[in-house]
Amino acid sequence: MNRFHWSRVHHKGWALASLLFITIILIPNLLIGVEFFTEGNDNWLHIREYLLKDYLQNSAVIIIFTALATMLIGTSLAWLITIYQFPMRNFLKWALILPLAIPPYIAAYTFHGILNYTGVIQSTLRNSFEMQVNQAYFDIMSIQGAIFIFTVTLFPYVYAITRSFFQNLSASVLENARLLGGNDLDTFFRVALPISRAAIVGSVTLVILEVLNDYGVTSYFGIQTVSTAIFRTWYGMMDLDSALKLAGTLMVLVMVVLMFERIVRGRRKFFDPSSKVRPIQPKKLTGAKAWGVFAYCFGIFTIAFIIPLLQLLRWAFMTYEKVFNAEFITLAKNSVLVASIASLIIIFVALIISNYTRLQAGLLTKFISRVTTLGYSIPGAAIAIAVITIFISLDQYIVTFLAQFNLKPEFVLRTTLIMLIFAYVIRFLAIGFNNIEAGFEKIGNRYSETSRMLGASTLRTFFMVDLPLLRGAIASGFILVFVDILKELPLTLFLQPFNFSTLATQAFKYANDERVQEASIASLMIIFISALCIFIFHRVLDKEAN
Amino acid sequence: MFIQIRDLQFQYKNTKKNTLDHIQVDIERGEIISILGKSGSGKSTLLRIIAGLENPTSGSMKLNGEVMFDPRTFIVPEKRGIGVVFQDYALFPHMTVAQNIKYGLRKMNRKQKQERLEEMLSLINLAEYGQRYPYELSGGQQQRVALARALAPAPSLLLLDEPFSNLDAHLQEKIRDELKEILKKTGITSIFVTHDFADAKAIADRILYIDEGQLVNRACDLVMS
Repeated sequence: MNRFHWSRVHHKGWALASLLFITIILIPNLLIGVEFFTEGNDNWLHIREYLLKDYLQNSAVIIIFTALATMLIGTSLAWLITIYQFPMRNFLKWALILPLAIPPYIAAYTFHGILNYTGVIQSTLRNSFEMQVNQAYFDIMSIQGAIFIFTVTLFPYVYAITRSFFQNLSASVLENARLLGGNDLDTFFRVALPISRAAIVGSVTLVILEVLNDYGVTSYFGIQTVSTAIFRTWYGMMDLDSALKLAGTLMVLVMVVLMFERIVRGRRKFFDPSSKVRPIQPKKLTGAKAWGVFAYCFGIFTIAFIIPLLQLLRWAFMTYEKVFNAEFITLAKNSVLVASIASLIIIFVALIISNYTRLQAGLLTKFISRVTTLGYSIPGAAIAIAVITIFISLDQYIVTFLAQFNLKPEFVLRTTLIMLIFAYVIRFLAIGFNNIEAGFEKIGNRYSETSRMLGASTLRTFFMVDLPLLRGAIASGFILVFVDILKELPLTLFLQPFNFSTLATQAFKYANDERVQEASIASLMIIFISALCIFIFHRVLDKEAN
Repeated sequence: MFIQIRDLQFQYKNTKKNTLDHIQVDIERGEIISILGKSGSGKSTLLRIIAGLENPTSGSMKLNGEVMFDPRTFIVPEKRGIGVVFQDYALFPHMTVAQNIKYGLRKMNRKQKQERLEEMLSLINLAEYGQRYPYELSGGQQQRVALARALAPAPSLLLLDEPFSNLDAHLQEKIRDELKEILKKTGITSIFVTHDFADAKAIADRILYIDEGQLVNRACDLVMS
């Protein structure tokens, strides 16, 4: 009997819908892949000959140092918070995740505003202490500066993931290490770090992917990377082919990173689900030690969150009368509108695909869930250029098709929000999918099997049983996707229709026009909404863990 | 024969050996059958195949003269008219006891549904519990609700997967007797899977012994853990 015969494939509707969505997601990737191996034009030869090496070198330097710095800061914070009790520990425990609410591009122009000649530090030194400083020490618009910005905004990935790993580590592991005569530092290097290798590597990989995705920081600082080159090749030279080739180069970089992760991580898993853990009880620190640990943790929180926030607040007080007007309301509305529509579509698609991959285990569904999570590792600039290429040819088809009937379309797809939302769905589907897949895993198959044994079809089961039980996963998936889209810069910048801006793109535009103060309210709004979601999210997670 | 299973084979992906091998089963209408075996013997898999939740590699099964599966046919679980009580009961946590029991009653009008619900609740001695949620019930009560829910649509066959494994030891005997009484009262053909010889002996009309995916003839062939 042939197991793969179509007549024996169950849930045909779910299968067809999933395959359709997967195909749509795959098309832009295939386009980049195919284009990568075609003959290049003169532009491309020039880029490859003279520029590409610099782009790659810049990206590599930023990636390597950001990875090292976030690893150092993230794991050390996670360790200190896990094993010690010290002043304000419970506050810092989740506060150290908050810097994630500040998108790197906002941190970039905020820190530039703080450190430049007219910024608060230099003008205070100059006016109150008559000190002139060497500008070289205050120049943040450099590769070192970019590394600093990425580090302070992205270390929470490493911190949060590693900490939750430590939390799931059994206390007996550490007690054994202590009994064998190691002190805390010794235990950290000889036990905690090796055990949590997979979690650290996984989270640092996330950091690297974010750096590769970045357009805002490097472009604002004037650093040439592959991402910024994609934009310039398209906007400056209108050369889609070469831009696509650059996107291909970026994807190769991503693949190298992902392969590296695989190799380093080996077969290790993030969590060991088999054992019931007795959680680690933090050791109470006193005196200088306690204040030392506090100073380290609070210092990082101050630099990464409080200082940029205060600067933005100060600018906001200076400019709110000018900025907070009808146009600003429109921007906020635009942001919420596109983020909501895209998030809804993503949740819808994620529900269908994850329900199908759950109902039918096998090679096909494994492939489908792989592809679904692919988008998040592809940098925005690469997705943007592929999507634009597809829509240009789609528009051409539509125009020629309508011309046969002597019709001229009122608009083309490229000038609508469809293109932008399409790109959002490709990039952020993974986040929604992972959440809902985890939700399905949590409820298991028993309820839906029971429902079917009681005569309900898969569709009825889905609406009567699965959906109500998945409420939590759907809500959290929606929130996460929504926030990510709200902060998103490269895709939006690239694909937003004429006369349409969001909070993110307008803020970035102000900053680029040397009107950084006016970018503050939009930035604060993004940070506020993100921080709120992070807060709610981790509170809920913490409660569930207890 | 009410149930006729012929040459059933089943193999999980990523395994070399058949989980079930050349299974032949005949069951008469109204019989209570126990499938007894160690964990990993394939007894739960057999139950899932009969229910339609797993896809056999080969073989055929007829239920009341109708083909459930053979090399050309596969009837999906919702069309088989088989009731199942799972090991963990799987009562829908977002529905009340009444909603749970009425879930499978689809072709009835409101009045008929209500009558059937009351009938079921009194069968399991939980007449006053309709508005409770599953988490407000004890383990034994949950099991009876799961049983009522499975019986409500009047299935032609009832399957029970390890019905006593989730209960406290001192309750087991009492609940065993209750279950037997309910099954006898409804006269339904039932198959239940267990690893406990005492359970099997107490309830079943006939015991099928399964070991390493094959039906064996005598109990002494089976080394019980």
